[in-house]
Amino acid sequence: MVQYRTQVRIIADVLSTARDMNTEGTGVGVTTLLRKGNMSYTRMSKLLSELVGSGLLLELTGEKISKYMISEKGIQFLAAYYNFEDFAQSFGLRL
Amino acid sequence: MALPSDMALIGEILQFIGVFVSFSIAYVAFRGVRQTESSSLLRLATAFVFLGFGFLVEGVVGLNALLPAPQVTTTAVVVAGLLLETTGYFFLAFSHAVDVMLSKKMGGALLVFPVATLSGAQLADILSILSFYFVLYGVVETVYSYSRTRKPDTLLIAMGLALIGVGTFVQWLSLLYLQVDVLSLLQIIMKEMGLVILFTPVLRFAVGGVRLDGTV
Repeated sequence: MVQYRTQVRIIADVLSTARDMNTEGTGVGVTTLLRKGNMSYTRMSKLLSELVGSGLLLELTGEKISKYMISEKGIQFLAAYYNFEDFAQSFGLRL
Repeated sequence: MALPSDMALIGEILQFIGVFVSFSIAYVAFRGVRQTESSSLLRLATAFVFLGFGFLVEGVVGLNALLPAPQVTTTAVVVAGLLLETTGYFFLAFSHAVDVMLSKKMGGALLVFPVATLSGAQLADILSILSFYFVLYGVVETVYSYSRTRKPDTLLIAMGLALIGVGTFVQWLSLLYLQVDVLSLLQIIMKEMGLVILFTPVLRFAVGGVRLDGTV
């Protein structure tokens, strides 16, 4: 059965990828985010602009490509998301 | 509903436990809405705000009936309390219905089931039986959700909802058989037990070392 993701779930997925895949501390490229986020480039670009704008992601601009790193605010958002996801799941709901 | 005064007093006090539990769940859900902008949590919060006000009206009406003070109880106020409660159960079922539509399940068919059972009964009877079907729908969806997540809390909530469902059914019976006093107390006890079970996730928020703003 196909499980459709809500917008907040997509944001949480992108943020958790930016957190977990940033093993070298130099940020995560768009390709990795696209692969893990499972969405189109256009949609991902728009989402990344929004997340950078809202301070959940930090954009590290390089010579050719930009990389992304989760911010402190993003980490707090993820913590809140997982807590409330647990709460909603208790009631049989999805965030 | 002529209950012996002691039983009636216990019943009305229990209503206020329902008020506290409902508003507590609504509060946590609203915090979730502020933090995550989740529409599921918004519907959950709305459901429990309605339920809380419903229990509040029913509790105040019930206590007022027990006191020697001037009576303000009217049928309209009692029906208003039941209407608030039923609306709360509707939102609870509606939260699941939206979840169903998102995952393209066929469970939405259950939502029209309550409508088909409407008869020419009195408004209070109709509201009680509607509440029963809404809660029943919530139980079915929560059990279904448990089958996917295998999360013990979800099963616990399904049990709590089932108790509330049986309580609303007994409430309907108590409206039909007014002379059976114990039914009125029984329905309140069952509903309150169910609500206390629903309080479990809120307790986890308060006791589990997680602050309500979501930070660990």
